[in-house]
Amino acid sequence: MSTVETLCVWAEESVRLDAVLHALEELRRPEPMPAVRNSVLNLCIVGADSRNVDRARAAVHELAGRHPARVLHLVLDPEARGGDIGLDARIELLGGEAEGRELWFEDVELVVRGPATAHLHSIIEPLTLADLPVVAWFVDEPPAVDDPILSAADVVLVDSRQLGGVDCFPNLTELVARHTVVDLSWMRLAPWRTLLAGLFEGPDFRPFVHHVTGAEVAGRTGPRHLVGGWLADRLGLPRNAIHLTEAEHVTIRLHAELPDGRRGTFLASRGDIRRVEARADVAGGPTSSAVLELPEATPAWGLADALSRLERDPVYECALARALS
Amino acid sequence: MAVLDDLDVNPLLEGLDTERRAPPCVLVVFGGSGDLTSRKLLPAIAQLAHRRLLPTAFSVVGVARTEWTDDDFRRHALASGGTTEPGWARMVEGFRYVAGDYAEPDTFERLRAVLDEIDATRGTGGNRVFYLATVPQVFASVAAALGRHGLAKRSADGPKSFVRLVIEKPFGHDLPSARQLDRDLHEVFDENQLYRIDHYLGKETVQNVLALRFANAIFEPIWNRRYVDSVQITVAESVGVGHRGGFYESAGALRDIVQNHVMQVLALTAMEPPATVDAEGIRDEKVKALRAVKVLSPGEVPDHVVRGQYARGWVEGEEVPGYREETGIAPTSPTETYVAARLTIDNWRWAGVPFFLRTGKRLPKRVTEVALTFRDVPHLPFPSGMSTQLGPNALVLRIQPDEGITLRFGAKVPGQAFRVRTVNMDFSYGAAFVEESPEAYERLLLDAMTGDPTLFIRTDEVEHAWRIWDPVLAAWAEPTAPPPFAYAAGSWGPDEATQLLHGRTWRNP
Repeated sequence: MSTVETLCVWAEESVRLDAVLHALEELRRPEPMPAVRNSVLNLCIVGADSRNVDRARAAVHELAGRHPARVLHLVLDPEARGGDIGLDARIELLGGEAEGRELWFEDVELVVRGPATAHLHSIIEPLTLADLPVVAWFVDEPPAVDDPILSAADVVLVDSRQLGGVDCFPNLTELVARHTVVDLSWMRLAPWRTLLAGLFEGPDFRPFVHHVTGAEVAGRTGPRHLVGGWLADRLGLPRNAIHLTEAEHVTIRLHAELPDGRRGTFLASRGDIRRVEARADVAGGPTSSAVLELPEATPAWGLADALSRLERDPVYECALARALS
Repeated sequence: MAVLDDLDVNPLLEGLDTERRAPPCVLVVFGGSGDLTSRKLLPAIAQLAHRRLLPTAFSVVGVARTEWTDDDFRRHALASGGTTEPGWARMVEGFRYVAGDYAEPDTFERLRAVLDEIDATRGTGGNRVFYLATVPQVFASVAAALGRHGLAKRSADGPKSFVRLVIEKPFGHDLPSARQLDRDLHEVFDENQLYRIDHYLGKETVQNVLALRFANAIFEPIWNRRYVDSVQITVAESVGVGHRGGFYESAGALRDIVQNHVMQVLALTAMEPPATVDAEGIRDEKVKALRAVKVLSPGEVPDHVVRGQYARGWVEGEEVPGYREETGIAPTSPTETYVAARLTIDNWRWAGVPFFLRTGKRLPKRVTEVALTFRDVPHLPFPSGMSTQLGPNALVLRIQPDEGITLRFGAKVPGQAFRVRTVNMDFSYGAAFVEESPEAYERLLLDAMTGDPTLFIRTDEVEHAWRIWDPVLAAWAEPTAPPPFAYAAGSWGPDEATQLLHGRTWRNP
């Protein structure tokens, strides 16, 4: 992770977009050695709740060493009328260092008012860096499928746990049919999924994966439903074979029985605050265990993996669909 | 819904970043208490564990003469891994150690018992990767012992279990000894079970030579004799022989660097596009390129190859001793620490294009690069005196450090006059990809476990490389051969190397 500091700031109220673009060009000029552009993506944060926005920004800054991004934060005020129609803009040029390399990137905050809020693509596109993907991160609520921002975005980023858990799944299910959606809540489940899947590797354990008879999944609303949907889809389990219960952290326990009567139990659970532990026990056979340290529970958890993988995830989409069924 | 018909498929793995995850297996390291194991192998295994690329059914067994217990080896592994992650500590708890002499049958009997026990308790399914991190003198005898004790061939435990043998260079010290080693290994292992490591091929930037050439439409059309004037390959080290004096005296720069690392880089630079980017596709084309390298006759060696030996000098601000003053080096040693060569590749693509190779110790800096220098334009239309600062176009692939690509071309100098001079357009991998690249051993260990031999050396590559350099070694072994030219530590080698270029100049990387 990198330490980020503000190199310079430009801010104006009620300005046109060309003034913002000009300011972006000018910001780097006073620096003694104009840096090569380091950004690898455009990240557009959409939301009004300052806590959510600040959390998102903190995550982006934390990841600057790995995914330096031009950050656009849009605050929308569609009800504004008359003389208020203009952009309030604030641009920060940020500098940091990662693995000995200097990184520069810009954080642009725009308050958009009036009719322009219905034509956001006309604002986003001029501000994005060419040839880099545009990721729209909705931090307050999932977008409607016809949200105008989506026409300018390559990828929709959400955190379904933050957006209400299972309550937002119907909306997300509609979205994934038309857009590439990356869900941070799903990304954070990867350690559990990886460890659980790994328990079935090897000739002593592999047969059991085809004979899972039931699953118990504990966790919060959203994550536990995604895990349940994933198991239902991947293992062909009927919904009534999966028992979901409320808990602070995710625990997954699978029960399997081979045709010859041998039974096995496969467990992935959070051992303590920072690790996931997994264990396989099969009757008359070897045992297998593994432990995986979780990253620190910062806002960036899951974001790094998400930004490395800006593409459709059919496994997630199926898990989402089965979570609702 | 997932398809559950295929019993070999684990449906829970789909969609996870585990395409290259190792299967259940045991990594058996001969030389388990040695330097290579602690400096390279154990840190690489720890990194693979950190990246979640190792299976839960996995273990490492160290084998060596050192009288260690399992716990001694575990403590050693824990400390060498370079991480305090609990996952590594948990993994190390399952490591085992067999102390014994490689010449004693009992060593291998005890090894077999340990492996059987691991299979039964951890579910590793009879899969083995044997890694010979030992001196090359015992490669053949350890392989033979593995065969005698039933450890070399496919296990009867499961129809899909595998046994592989990884060996480190040098693969022989000349062509006859390389062939003998191959015969010995093939007595016990099939070629597809042998993984010959040249760690240079595990470097991301060496693999990037393939990406640059074959993933882009703009480079390949000019990658030939019609546009390229010459190619320079430089593998420079600023360090001396250090504690490797004993080994280096019997090897020298040609055997240590040129015959393997430099020839691999040359093959990747000169090869034709492979039909497929898989193990056989790439290795077939590398072999074709090596076969096309003209073999020098003994009489041609002095005009095509220059050897040197570093004398006392200054490197990176410090005075350093000459080679013959280093620990373990004979005061009259004729061993070369520098080699420069002019090779030609007799095929349609490269006929007439000289390949200049250069490697050495105690050069001004550590750098590896491939530079293609292009022919001049047929006519310069600028007024006289306006292009005196214009050099030939060049494309430089910087392999280490500061990995990237530099394109040198002419540009107009701002101002009223039409002056042109050469400028650099730099691309740095570090600016485009800020994520961390895996270390070479990490990549190669995983490849050996997953059964991908693409980045390992096939037996015919070894033979063709020796075929090229055997006449040079023979010429240098003649009693009448002149000794290596001396060069001051911190210089770019002996002046005599310039004569190989026929009017060109060595680059200053």
